[in-house]
Amino acid sequence: MTFNVTAASVFVALFGLVTWLGFVAARWRKADLNQLHEWGLGGRRFGTVVTWFLLGGDLYTAYTFIAVPALVYGAGAMGFFAVPYTILIYPILFLIFPRLWKIAHECGHVTAADYVRDRFDSRYLALAVALTGIVATMPYIALQLVGMEVVIGALGFPAGGWTGHLPLIIAFIVLAAFTYTSGLRAPALIAVVKDMLIFVTIFAAIVIIPAKLGGYGAIFASVPPEKLTLTPPSGDSFGSYSAYITLALGSALALFLYPHSMTGILSASSGKVIRRNAAALSAYSFVLGLIALLGYMAIAAGVDKNSLYAEGFAQHGANFAVPALFLDSFSSWFVGVAFAAIAIGALVPAAIMSIACANLFTRNLYKEFWKPDCTDAEEARMAKIVSLVVKIGAVVFILLIPKAYAIQLQLLGGIWIIQLLPPIVLGLFTRAFNAQALLVGWAAGTAIGTYMAAAQGFVSSVYPLEIFGVTAPGYAALYSVLVNFLVAAALSPLFDRLAWRGAAP
Amino acid sequence: MASKDVKRGLACHWPRFLLIIPFLLVAWVPFYNRLEPTLGDIPFFYWYQLAAILLGAGVAITVYLLEEWITPTTEQGSTDPDSGIDASGTPGDIL
Repeated sequence: MTFNVTAASVFVALFGLVTWLGFVAARWRKADLNQLHEWGLGGRRFGTVVTWFLLGGDLYTAYTFIAVPALVYGAGAMGFFAVPYTILIYPILFLIFPRLWKIAHECGHVTAADYVRDRFDSRYLALAVALTGIVATMPYIALQLVGMEVVIGALGFPAGGWTGHLPLIIAFIVLAAFTYTSGLRAPALIAVVKDMLIFVTIFAAIVIIPAKLGGYGAIFASVPPEKLTLTPPSGDSFGSYSAYITLALGSALALFLYPHSMTGILSASSGKVIRRNAAALSAYSFVLGLIALLGYMAIAAGVDKNSLYAEGFAQHGANFAVPALFLDSFSSWFVGVAFAAIAIGALVPAAIMSIACANLFTRNLYKEFWKPDCTDAEEARMAKIVSLVVKIGAVVFILLIPKAYAIQLQLLGGIWIIQLLPPIVLGLFTRAFNAQALLVGWAAGTAIGTYMAAAQGFVSSVYPLEIFGVTAPGYAALYSVLVNFLVAAALSPLFDRLAWRGAAP
Repeated sequence: MASKDVKRGLACHWPRFLLIIPFLLVAWVPFYNRLEPTLGDIPFFYWYQLAAILLGAGVAITVYLLEEWITPTTEQGSTDPDSGIDASGTPGDIL
């Protein structure tokens, strides 16, 4: 691939701008960053607008921008499940999380595990929540690097060898440095730039590209007809229908349990801010729907047949569809803008994810099990160091281990994180659940979910569940969390009775 | 205690039942798994789900505004719909 000087210059300039913003952010709404809730939650002072940018920048990651259209490009209609998924997340956000915010605010909780620790008075249930959060988030950070690597490669930076990884390593050193100094304030400020670049890019894409390709009619006409809709099920199977809706519902239920979503929510200044955002964040959902359609535009533009992009496709597979489409359709300087949007789109969630992991490690492992008497300043310093370690881990992971493993681990991460639904969400609304029963339910759900993914060779999270002679292929996360819930519900009264007997003389 | 909570919850939170609408819009896949009718050359499967995002946003805004409008009239003083949580952070039994 030839080196694109104009695009690379615009890209580097925009990257420089956000680096500067990242460091300046330390002085924004100035406070003592040696307090964990100031460094790791921005002091819980973000209002409606900042929260809108922060959550939008946090939830719609670079990997989303690359992988969703890649899935539509490769698999057609099935990839569009991302749209019902984003429709379902907002009612969940509206109903559940203002309540969690209120409790966390009153009791000074920084993580979901803090809340579980207090609510159930069980350090081991809290440990399970913290470890699940960290383990599910690590591959997610690594995948942000994949998104970044694809666009850096598409700019024509020399690939291969040690120098090929240099741009990525520099980008991550920058990220690590400003996260260390500014905490959550940095991604919050950078998210404003990121989201504006994304909106500009997408609106340009949906106007310019269809005009070049002869309108939306021509685009859909160029897609093989069998890809345009889901294959209707036949025989004793719900086929793609149950897969489609369970993927949407399961992903929606899992999203806000991720530590980085939780960090974004807890940094809001009130429950009202969260409820307002449950409506306002739909703007991002709509953009995501449009981004998904870029997959079809890539088919219509015939980028896979263009010899210019053969190398990129050979290296990155379907993930190269959107970068190739942008290179094909935009003038060089705007390619720089679009690629910067994706790369900066990787920085924001990666920063928040590493902060969220650092908060979990410091609060729920270090302070809980090693140094219960550590000072606030020690706690904050520990979190800053852990945020560095987490990012170095992600870079090493992506450089040394085949990328396919990161993708498989991310798939497993979704199945693991949804197991936190009973302890976190049920605890908010009822007293009926017992901590030990929830712990057994969590273990059962995690084991069964992992088994379901293993049965598919870790390449698909859709498990063909057979029930009453009918096959219902569905998202393993949703099936396994049902098991988790049923186990916890069945055992709770039993364990409560045992505890009551044990307490009585 | 529990039944009083439920009554008060219903009085100011009934609009939240409307949040089932976004789910109903997308729950039945066979309904929208079709090409016709198209809208400006875009097949039904695609424009319907994009439109559902806008409807979902409309529902969320409606629920927010209805609650803002109801809460001060049914409850003097408190304007926070999530009150009813005691100091220890343990919620009342409202399920």
